[in-house]
Amino acid sequence: MTKILFSDKLDNCVERWKKAGFSVIGPVQRNNISTYAAVERAAELDLGLILTERSIKELFFPQSEPMLQYTIKKDSIETKDFLPPSGQRIIFGARPCDASGMAIDDPLFGWDYKDEYWFQRRNESVIVTIACTQSDDFCMCTSLKLAPDSTKGSDILLRPLENKRGWLVEEITDRGRDAFKAIADIVQESADTAAPLAVVEKKFDLDRSVAWLQNPENFESRFWKEISMRCIGCASCTFLCPTCHCFDIQDEGDTYSGMRRKNWDSCSFALFTMHTSGHNPRSTQSARWRQRIMHKFNYFPGKFSVNSCSGCGRCSRQCPVDMGITETLQEISKLSQ
Amino acid sequence: MSIEEQYRTRAKELLAGGAVKMVIGYGKGTTGERRRPIFITSPDEVERLVLDEACITNLSGYLVSEGLLSDEKRVAVFLRPEGVRAVNILAAESQLDSDQLVIFGFDVVGNEIKALKGIHVEEFADVIESLKESAPGVAKELLLEKIESMSPQERFSYWQGEFAKCIKCYACRQACPMCYCRRCIVDSNQPQWVNTSSHSLGNFEWNIVRAFHLSGRCVECGNCDRACPVNIPLRLINHRMAEEVLGTFDHFAGTSKTQEPVLASFKKDDSETFIL
Ligand code: SF4
Ligand code: SF4
Ligand code: SF4
Ligand code: SF4
Ligand code: SF4
Repeated sequence: MTKILFSDKLDNCVERWKKAGFSVIGPVQRNNISTYAAVERAAELDLGLILTERSIKELFFPQSEPMLQYTIKKDSIETKDFLPPSGQRIIFGARPCDASGMAIDDPLFGWDYKDEYWFQRRNESVIVTIACTQSDDFCMCTSLKLAPDSTKGSDILLRPLENKRGWLVEEITDRGRDAFKAIADIVQESADTAAPLAVVEKKFDLDRSVAWLQNPENFESRFWKEISMRCIGCASCTFLCPTCHCFDIQDEGDTYSGMRRKNWDSCSFALFTMHTSGHNPRSTQSARWRQRIMHKFNYFPGKFSVNSCSGCGRCSRQCPVDMGITETLQEISKLSQ
Repeated sequence: MSIEEQYRTRAKELLAGGAVKMVIGYGKGTTGERRRPIFITSPDEVERLVLDEACITNLSGYLVSEGLLSDEKRVAVFLRPEGVRAVNILAAESQLDSDQLVIFGFDVVGNEIKALKGIHVEEFADVIESLKESAPGVAKELLLEKIESMSPQERFSYWQGEFAKCIKCYACRQACPMCYCRRCIVDSNQPQWVNTSSHSLGNFEWNIVRAFHLSGRCVECGNCDRACPVNIPLRLINHRMAEEVLGTFDHFAGTSKTQEPVLASFKKDDSETFIL
C-alpha cells in the first residue's frame, strides 16, 4: 500500500492549503501563454501540459523587481529598501526539470553574497513536482543525467497513476512533509500503481562534450562561428531558461529620486559586455554563444560541481532560428569522437 | 525538376563559378515541420538546401550582418516577396547595395511552392505591386476584427494584457530585418530614452517605440510575431500601422530600392507645423 492523492480531491487540498495560509501556484494557460500563476481553484490548473512555455524561475527571480527607492533632498537622503512580499506558497505541478533548475541555481545565489530576494522566496516555497509521463522532441533531462522523475529541487514528488485517477505521493523533504500534513486525511492508502514514465532518449554524451569544452584549445575553434551563424542574438533562450540567472541593476528616475531595480540580463545581448569605452570583449555573436555554452557546462560546474542546465529544452523549443543547447552539445559530442 | 532542385542546381553553379561567395537559404530543422536558416559556401553542400511550404522565415535580416557585404562580393539569398520588399527598404535606407545580391525568389501559395522569376530586386516590381492591391493575410484575421470593434478603453486593456507578458527579450527586434540599428534606442543610456525594466511602463514604451519605428517600413513578414516567446500578436500592431501609412500617405513599404522612406522624408510645404 502506498500514499495516493486522488485528483478529484485536489480542490479540497487547494482549499485546505489556502486555509493553512499558503498561496497555491501552478501551471495555467492564461492570455495565450502557459505559465505558472496563482490559482483559487484546482480547476484553473492545467496539469496536462508537457511543460509551461515560461519557466518556474519567474516565481523566484522575476524579470524586474524593485530593490530600493531613493530621494535626495537638499540636506538629506532618504532610501527605502524593498524585499519581496512575504508569504508561504505551494507550487503544485512543477516539472522535474524546472524544480531541478531551482536547486541548480541555489549555490550561485548563495555563493559570496546571499541573495535575499532569491532565498526569501526559496524558503517560503514548497515545490510539489509531478513526474512526466509524456515528453516532446525537445525534452532532454536524461542527457543531463536527470530523469522524468528526478526529485532534485522538489519537496514532494507525485507519480501519475496508471488509472489516471491521481498521483502516488513521495515525500522528499521535511518542508514537503509539513505542507502535506494539512491534507493528511485527504491522502489515502491504496494499491494503485504508477503509470510508466515518459521515455526521453539521450541526445548526446554529456561527459564527452564537457571534456571537449574543458580543452583550452577548443576555445578558438572554428566550430563556434559555424554553429552560431544563424543566431540572431535575442534573449529568449536565456529568459525562458530556468537556470539562466544573469541580472542587471538599473536606477530609474533622475538624480533626485528614483527606483533601483534588478532586471534580467542576457549574455546573448551585445550590450551585455560592452565597455563604456565602446570596446566589447565579446564582439561577435559566436563569442556570446560560446560564453553561454562554456558558462553552463564548464565554468559553472567548475565552481559549483553541477551543470547549469536541467534539460528542459525550452532554449531549443522556442528559438526563432531553431538553434539551442541540444544541437550544440550534439555537434560537440560528435567532434570529440 | 522541382523548384527545390532547380534552385540547388543554380546555387551549385553560382558557388562553383565563384559568382557568389555564399547562399543563404533554408535547411532541415530539428523536427519535421521546422526549417532553419543555413549558409552555404561550397558547391558540395547545396544538397542541404530545402525549399518547401515550411520555409517562412524572412532571411533578409542576415544580409546586414556586420561585414558580410563589405568585401563587395556577391551573396545569394532565398526570399519571398516580403523579403524582396525588405531588401528594397534596406537599399533605400543605404544599408546595402542590392546589386550585390542574387535573389532566389519564391512564394508559398496555399501549400504550393511557386518560383518567382528574377535575380535583382527591380525584376520583382510587378509581384510587389500586386501585393499592394491584394490585402495581406493578416487583414482577414478574426482577432484583428475583434480588436477593431473594441472601444478605445477595451482596446487599451487588451494591449495592456498582452504587453504585460513581454519579457523584453528583444527577439522581435532581433528577428526583424528593419531593426538593424547598431545601437537601438532602448540600448542607449545617455540619456536613457526608454526604461530598461520590463515593468508595465517599460513594456508599453518598448512596444510603442518599435511600432513607430516600423511604421511605413514593416513588410509584414511575420518574423517578429513568430519570434516572440510569449505569443504577443505583434503582427496586428504592425499591420495596423501599415494600413495607416498606406491610407494617409499612399505608401506601401518596399516597392523599390529608391522609394523615399516615409519616416525620413520631409517637404518644405508640409501642412504640419511639427514633425512627429
Ligand atoms: S540561440 Fe536562438 S533564442 Fe538564443 S539568442 Fe540565438 S536566436 Fe535567440
Ligand atoms: S539551457 Fe536550455 S535545456 Fe538547459 S535548462 Fe536552460 S532552457 Fe532548459
Ligand atoms: S516588424 Fe515584424 S513583420 Fe514587420 S518587417 Fe519587422 S519582423 Fe517583419
Ligand atoms: S526599435 Fe527602433 S531603434 Fe530599435 S532597432 Fe528597431 S528601428 Fe532601431
Ligand atoms: S519578442 Fe515579445 S517578449 Fe520579447 S521583447 Fe518583443 S514583444 Fe517582448
